Amino acid sequence: MISIIPKALATGSDPSFSKKLDLNNLAPEQIALNINELNLYYGKKQALNNITMSIPKGQVTAFIGPSGCGKSTLLRCINRMNDLVDDCHISGEINLHGNNIYDKHVDVAELRRKVGMVFQRPNPFPKTIYENVVYGLRIMGENNRRRLDDAAEKSLRSAALWNEVKDRLHESALGLSGGQQQRLVIARAIAIQPEVLLLDEPTSALDPISTLVIEELINDLKKQFTVVIVTHNMQQAARVSDQTAFMYMGDLIEYSDTNTLFTTPLKKKTEDYITGRYG
Amino acid sequence: MADLISSNRSRGIKNSLAKWLITFGGISVLFTLVLIFLYLLYVVKPIFESAQIEPKVTVNLDLKANEKVLTTGVDELQELAYQITDTGNIDFYHLKASDPQAGNQFSIGENSLSKLLLTGDDFHQEKVASVANSFTANILLHTVSGKTLLFQPSFYAKYANDTREIIPQVNYPLGQSSLIIDEQQVPFSQLAFAMDDEKIVFVAFTQDKRLIKTSFIADDDFSSSNDGDDVDYETNHQLIDYPADDIDEIKVTPDLSLAFIRSGSTVRVYSLTDEDEVSLKATIIPTLDNEATYLTSMALLSGSSSVLLGDSSGGISQWFEVATDSGRQFKKIRAFTTGNSDTNNDKATNDRAKKASNAITAIYTERFRKSFYTMTTSGMLNVFYTTSSADLWQGQLALSQPEAFAIAPRANGLIIIGNDPLDANKRNLQTFSVHNEHPEVTWQALWQEVWYEGYPEPDYIWQSSSGSDDFEAKFSLVPISFGTIKAAFYAMLFAVPVALSAAIYTAYFMTPRLRKKVKPTIEMMEALPTVILGFLAGLWLAPLMEEYLPAIFLLFILLPLATVLTAFSWHKLPNKVKDKLPETLAPLLLIPVIILTTYVAFTLSPQLEIILFNGDMRQFLTNDLGINFDQRNALVVGIAMGFAVIPTIFTMAEDAIFSVPGHLTSGSLALGATQWQTLIGVVLLTASPGIFSAVMMGLGRAVGETMIVLMATGNTPILDWSIFQGMRTLAANIAVEMPEAEVDSSHYRILFLAAFVLFIFTFIFNTLAEFVRQRLREKYSSM
Repeated sequence: MISIIPKALATGSDPSFSKKLDLNNLAPEQIALNINELNLYYGKKQALNNITMSIPKGQVTAFIGPSGCGKSTLLRCINRMNDLVDDCHISGEINLHGNNIYDKHVDVAELRRKVGMVFQRPNPFPKTIYENVVYGLRIMGENNRRRLDDAAEKSLRSAALWNEVKDRLHESALGLSGGQQQRLVIARAIAIQPEVLLLDEPTSALDPISTLVIEELINDLKKQFTVVIVTHNMQQAARVSDQTAFMYMGDLIEYSDTNTLFTTPLKKKTEDYITGRYG
Repeated sequence: MADLISSNRSRGIKNSLAKWLITFGGISVLFTLVLIFLYLLYVVKPIFESAQIEPKVTVNLDLKANEKVLTTGVDELQELAYQITDTGNIDFYHLKASDPQAGNQFSIGENSLSKLLLTGDDFHQEKVASVANSFTANILLHTVSGKTLLFQPSFYAKYANDTREIIPQVNYPLGQSSLIIDEQQVPFSQLAFAMDDEKIVFVAFTQDKRLIKTSFIADDDFSSSNDGDDVDYETNHQLIDYPADDIDEIKVTPDLSLAFIRSGSTVRVYSLTDEDEVSLKATIIPTLDNEATYLTSMALLSGSSSVLLGDSSGGISQWFEVATDSGRQFKKIRAFTTGNSDTNNDKATNDRAKKASNAITAIYTERFRKSFYTMTTSGMLNVFYTTSSADLWQGQLALSQPEAFAIAPRANGLIIIGNDPLDANKRNLQTFSVHNEHPEVTWQALWQEVWYEGYPEPDYIWQSSSGSDDFEAKFSLVPISFGTIKAAFYAMLFAVPVALSAAIYTAYFMTPRLRKKVKPTIEMMEALPTVILGFLAGLWLAPLMEEYLPAIFLLFILLPLATVLTAFSWHKLPNKVKDKLPETLAPLLLIPVIILTTYVAFTLSPQLEIILFNGDMRQFLTNDLGINFDQRNALVVGIAMGFAVIPTIFTMAEDAIFSVPGHLTSGSLALGATQWQTLIGVVLLTASPGIFSAVMMGLGRAVGETMIVLMATGNTPILDWSIFQGMRTLAANIAVEMPEAEVDSSHYRILFLAAFVLFIFTFIFNTLAEFVRQRLREKYSSM
């Protein structure tokens, strides 16, 4: 346990490992997602106010803020999960490869394949471990056994779960522990090779050891995917993310590289929050 | 501190009170269930018991050594027995012990009536050669010189001093003088007769080897007088051409239609219905066990269709007429065998002697039931029931062949006259009580094919009552159990797709606001009394469907098609149009579509009939396809009972689907699955235990449902999967027949058995459902 912590800190938050980016002036090829003047209303109540930000490619971006600040809502906008909520209206755009995902010609299912998501509570389907991992491929119509096997192994390895489950791939996924289930869900999400992976408080339902394993995993994942993580836990944001956005009451208060945000925040609200005055 | 203690104490009291109340409630529910179960079994149990015969009364007879007893009999209440001897005497004996100290021993003469029958001028010190019994109480005797007398021992009750007394008397339906049966008045070697109100038929074999048939045809009615004074009849004599030299036995059926004449091991059947000519109808030559075996006796079974043939090795076979391709033929239906129970020990010692002692000397049949008793040379008595093939009793009641044997009119007693075991020169009369209430019921008769009289082959038949007297009740539980399953099957065929589709739509696709209104509405349907559904189905739907049969089938195709088409068109409509109708109301668009489709189907129906079915689909089904069509059929029941079952399935399935956790659905959607893929791949899978229970609950309801099947099935207990035929279910059968079943009769007990079977059915379904549900839940739990 002791050996894990320094490693996680070393790989996650040491600024020398990630090149500092100027978040306001990113080159187009560096941008994974571009959120532009996004407003979101639940009925008449506005939940997101004019959010504009760019999320860089191949990096981990964290959204932090107190409960109800809109960080999860913003995350769910990125793969249009808010469509499922009644009375939810959105204005503004989110651009993926320069295309607005809220354009009416966009195929939502196709978008969600490119923008995968992992939820707060582990939600494996009541199927076998194997079937859980290949679920996304199967619904895309992939039925070749070899390709499915390869993808399952690759994803489980990427999710650092392979060694634990390789002998019981065809047992129920519900028999795994909470931390294993969450890694399985991550494996399931990356099996369809998304470009962006959204993690909505992925460790809030897990014990500290599982949390550390997942955090390590996030660091590995950014080599392949752009990761956006919502977290309640500021230490976690500090450990795993390259950029951090602080949100409050539906506003994006401050967005900068993690080191700067946690050491020298520009806004008073940010400083109050990270020093624990409210939250 | 005191407060704390007192509150703890009151809490403790409440706690233990609640515990006891709940325990009491739970146990009493279980106890009630077990009690119902046990009561059903208690009522059913006697039908599977075999017969019991116990000795009752012994009367020493005061007979001369050379006096022979020809026949015996008893009244209905078994209080008075009589015997007829070859001197022409009839003696009546009291059987009821007036003094308990007297035990079972009675002596002759106690309040008895002793009377000489041969009082007419024709008889002078004659000896009686033989008597012939008929299925009516009449007895015909003939003397060694060829004189005949028809008489009837009878009993009437007198109430003197407020106590009942049975008074014996002898009636002479045709007077006390000799009847002229043979024109040449030659003595008979064999004589048989049968009579009804208008006619008496005698078939006799004379000592000069002529076979004759004589019929007396009454001008008025034979039963109108007891002394025969004013009965006029005309006589018709016929000579029957008979190919054999000797005749061993003659039997005339009680309906006066057939005569069975046995010569050795050949039985010839003559038709007696034609007054002008007696014709040979059939010859029965049974295949016997081996060369040495021959026929020894013959008897008619109650109901006059079957003949029983006993042979020298203890076998009895039942024969009756069966319609075959080459006309009606007598066929061997089943065989019985006697004397197997006590042969195990000394079988090897002398098989041959055993065989000889096993020969059937006489077969006695009950008057109203298909039971019969057989007597072997060694005096072994066996009791059988034909249709159920039941071997009911076996035992030795007398030391040897009895002189006379009679079955009490209610078949609950036996009278045997034979040698006194203590003194070989004396004879006594013994009565036995017979407990044989339900011989026709055996497990095989209830669940296997039974070959009933007059049927071309063994079959499963439920027919508990009929208008005719010699009717045999047919209790096969197979057709009604089948009917239950068939009705439930067609109901489920209709209900499951509709209810599950509705449940999926309501739980998964419907907006929550509309769901809040739709769900209670459908649940209210469950409260609809099924009797209303039943009579609507029987009186309105059944005739309507009969008239518009093509429309009904058209609807099964058109309705889903129209619904899908409407939904598709709505989906393709531009948003601008869609926005004008709130999403909540969009499904209401289907109402006019459904009405219109139904209207179109019914309008097209007559045209369709003309084009496709030569004008009438019913006629077409019956004539061209050979499918029977009942107005009350499985289609009507399927729809009506389906309608009753839909709310049950819908409610539970909807709950199951609705309670699939949202995070599973989002998990699937977030992987790029469409709504449809999520529904199939995740939602239905997770909800499967609940959906399964919903279907099983619906099935349980369909199996137990009574009113709808009672009113809409036609209650025809037939075994046929056809959708155009009716059925009778266990529940409806109990409801229909229980009010008219005589308490404690076989019918009554079998209805209880039917209830028990129904109980078992639902028990099995529920247990199976629970088992599968638990397994599914284990697999898909933790969510």
